[in-house]
Amino acid sequence: MASFVPTSAETLADLRRYTEDRLVEVACLDCLARVRVKKNSDHHTSVQWSAEARSACQELGRRDQGPGGRDVHKPCARLMASIDDAVRAGAVPVGAYDGY
Amino acid sequence: MTDTATPARSLDQGTTPLRFARGWHCLGLASAFADGKPHAVHGFGTKLVVWQGGDGELNVLDGYCRHMGGDLTQGEVKGDHIACPFHDWRWGGDGKCKEIPYARRVPLRARTQRYETVVRNGQLLIWHDPEGSAADHEVLPPELPDVMSDKYTPWSWHTREINGSHCRELIDNVADMAHFYYVHFAFPTSFRNIFDGHTATQFMESKGRPDTMGGGYGDENSTLKSVATYYGPSYMINWLEVDYKGFVTEVVLVNCHIPTGPESFTLQYGISVRKPEGLDEQTCAYIAERYTQSFGDGFLQDVAIWENKVAVQNPLLCEEDGPVYQLRRWYEQFYVDVADIKPEMTDRFEFEVDTTKANEYWHAEVAENLAKRAASEAAAPADA
Ligand code: FES
Ligand SMILES: [Fe+2]
Repeated sequence: MASFVPTSAETLADLRRYTEDRLVEVACLDCLARVRVKKNSDHHTSVQWSAEARSACQELGRRDQGPGGRDVHKPCARLMASIDDAVRAGAVPVGAYDGY
Repeated sequence: MTDTATPARSLDQGTTPLRFARGWHCLGLASAFADGKPHAVHGFGTKLVVWQGGDGELNVLDGYCRHMGGDLTQGEVKGDHIACPFHDWRWGGDGKCKEIPYARRVPLRARTQRYETVVRNGQLLIWHDPEGSAADHEVLPPELPDVMSDKYTPWSWHTREINGSHCRELIDNVADMAHFYYVHFAFPTSFRNIFDGHTATQFMESKGRPDTMGGGYGDENSTLKSVATYYGPSYMINWLEVDYKGFVTEVVLVNCHIPTGPESFTLQYGISVRKPEGLDEQTCAYIAERYTQSFGDGFLQDVAIWENKVAVQNPLLCEEDGPVYQLRRWYEQFYVDVADIKPEMTDRFEFEVDTTKANEYWHAEVAENLAKRAASEAAAPADA
């Protein structure tokens, strides 16, 4: 059962554009996680995980075991470093040609 | 060349869901219900009755008696049960009718809608699921042991009814970087979102604008470090470190809501402040009251926008905007049947907003505003 129902087909196209376009696969240099990344600028980063990647990351797994609370959800530093490496190597194009 | 390639964009207002979200919802401070009297709470398109039985348990049932529809919130607590004012049928916290004083026996089918309850962080939470599943204790918000100790001030709790908006408007705030400048009068200097499973988090650092008189986020002397996580669809814990002229205060804000109808909800928020060392109770209470006031004002700034905007299913975004589409994809998981939850609704997603350009433009605008103000002050007589 759908909940918030769009009334036009263009809305679905937008949804795809904003959530799926231009994602590039990047592998973590320290574990088996492979995520999909988009960069609109040097400071912007969008990272889409999958369940498989999430369970490969030991850092996130460790945090899941601890008590909940502030900061448990913050990014894995090793994955972020791997993404920076991939960007430096030119594997992830930087820039939003489509305005986003 | 005229721009015929880009037709005018239409606003897709979509349709709002027919159901209310699955998850834990906070009804208020548990102590507010612990007086042996029935209490009415509007929620989920009906009215709920909340009471504490003689055994000390807090109970929540649908507010309308299944006999002839009497209003249980106007009834009376008798022993552990709630008694209906119409014909005195007695209902237990397990949803079963326990006694009908004038009847030989209670019909076996005499069961009403009950809600599982948990008291967490001093607040009464109930599980709501249109599919009727058993409460999922794995997705409860975490305990805040420090806040419940005398290191922190007691919750200062407030309630506000919002009409004419779906509660998703409130959720959208999680990914909305730019509104902190325009609506809350602060420069968001760092802004990041992480959605993961049933949680959605906003990490933000901000500094108040010097050209506005805003309280809360907008005080020019204060810098904020904020981590705000939704645990499920309606309960957010916001950890705030407020640096006011070098004096750092830790504030915990709970922001939660109960949907009341398809286009209305009740917003509730509570504030607790870590008591600064060396200050007496009265001063601590004063500081807590000030933060309550200013963050309360912050909510009102949002409310003024919600009350006048329209719903939009197809927001048009620019590079400096946060991940609204992904946030809503996350939020959708609470509105579909469990069997229909898609992996992308719960898969971890991280987004860092580039705030550098926005802050350059905003600082220039603020400098201009300050210069204009100085010029008009110089031109006008001081005592006018
Ligand atoms: S309607 Fe409640 S007892 Fe009759
Ligand atoms: Fe807001």
